[in-house]
Amino acid sequence: MPTDTMAAEKITVYNLADLKNTTDDAIPNYLNSIGFTQSHTLTDVRLALGYSAFALAAACFAWDYHFGFESTKYLTAAAVALYTLLNGALTLWVLYAERGTVYVGTSRATGETVRIGTETKKNVPEYFVTVEVTSKDGKKAELKFARSFTEWFDVTGRFVAAPFQTMLVSSVPVIAKADPKRAAAALEGATADATGASEGAAAYSPEVLEMLANADVSVVGSAAEEATGSEAAAGKKGGKRRKA
Amino acid sequence: MLSSLQNPRQAAAQLMNFGLILSTAFMMWKGLSVITDSPSPIVVVLSGSMEPAFQRGDLLLLWNRNLISETNVGEVVVYNVRGKDIPIVHRIVRKFGVGPEAKLLTKGDNNAADDTELYARGQDYLNRKDIVGSVIGYMPFVGYVTIMLSEHPWLKTVMLGIMGLVVVLQRE
Repeated sequence: MPTDTMAAEKITVYNLADLKNTTDDAIPNYLNSIGFTQSHTLTDVRLALGYSAFALAAACFAWDYHFGFESTKYLTAAAVALYTLLNGALTLWVLYAERGTVYVGTSRATGETVRIGTETKKNVPEYFVTVEVTSKDGKKAELKFARSFTEWFDVTGRFVAAPFQTMLVSSVPVIAKADPKRAAAALEGATADATGASEGAAAYSPEVLEMLANADVSVVGSAAEEATGSEAAAGKKGGKRRKA
Repeated sequence: MLSSLQNPRQAAAQLMNFGLILSTAFMMWKGLSVITDSPSPIVVVLSGSMEPAFQRGDLLLLWNRNLISETNVGEVVVYNVRGKDIPIVHRIVRKFGVGPEAKLLTKGDNNAADDTELYARGQDYLNRKDIVGSVIGYMPFVGYVTIMLSEHPWLKTVMLGIMGLVVVLQRE
């Protein structure tokens, strides 16, 4: 079952790589928990290529160290050529086979395979997602969308699972099928939003607000004591928003 | 960062990336060795015996193939004295005979006498196989870093300290 637990680790919200890596790590956790079987083939091939190249270099170092250059130079030349090939294959594999893929898995419910690739662009705080769905009979469909990281990271840099999972469910039909509970909740939240009552946000806002309050105490400190006092009179929620 | 170690594949990939940086540097060096046919295709000048051509700290690129002609008088070569592992950069001033058995005598441009004093006991001349390569290019001053590091070992400690500090400050 999908869990609503928060990642224990806090990241720096200004670090795009941190935002992306933390989010990337959350995808397999979530999808594997709702009945997807993950395929590691892409990663395993990359590891095999990389480690065989490294092993070759290590062997080359060993024979060079023991027997000297002159007596092993043809072997070394062959090793250099093979190393170049292996490294080239690794580069091509990462560029054209992996293409930024963070997850490949098959839904046990529908038999469809999803490949999820993600990327970020410099100075754009958005998560660019490409989902490639291959149905049982081999038909491919591609789906692209970009969402702001602010949807599932709070101001303190904690990853919040619920809105992230809602985002995936509402964007990718295959995932919605695999997690009907979350899909129904997302739909409810959407209709509530449409009527103006923002029930979806309220589902996780108390704990985030609590964290915000804690964070404000530590960040603001005594220097802004006066300001906090006047804001408390004006209304707690407004004060928080201004600071955020 | 530590959380990634819980996933064995991710940990293996991180270790691999680090390993590949080292192995690629090593294989590039070996590739240069193979192309130039020299066990040590880049050397640093350690003495002033070839001034004004080369100063201490110059980086030399060597070539050890005789594609067009043999190694001849006038070429600046790097050789190892038999039994010692110190490469010396000097110019060939005499040559008797041809082929791999030719007898070669070297001298530093800035030295008063030829190198017979420098050779090993009982060695009066060099053979072609003693030569590590002929100088075909140089970069002034770049190699001074390695001279400084080997002559003042405390600099290594300082450098390691600075690198450690950078790692701590950058967190990655």
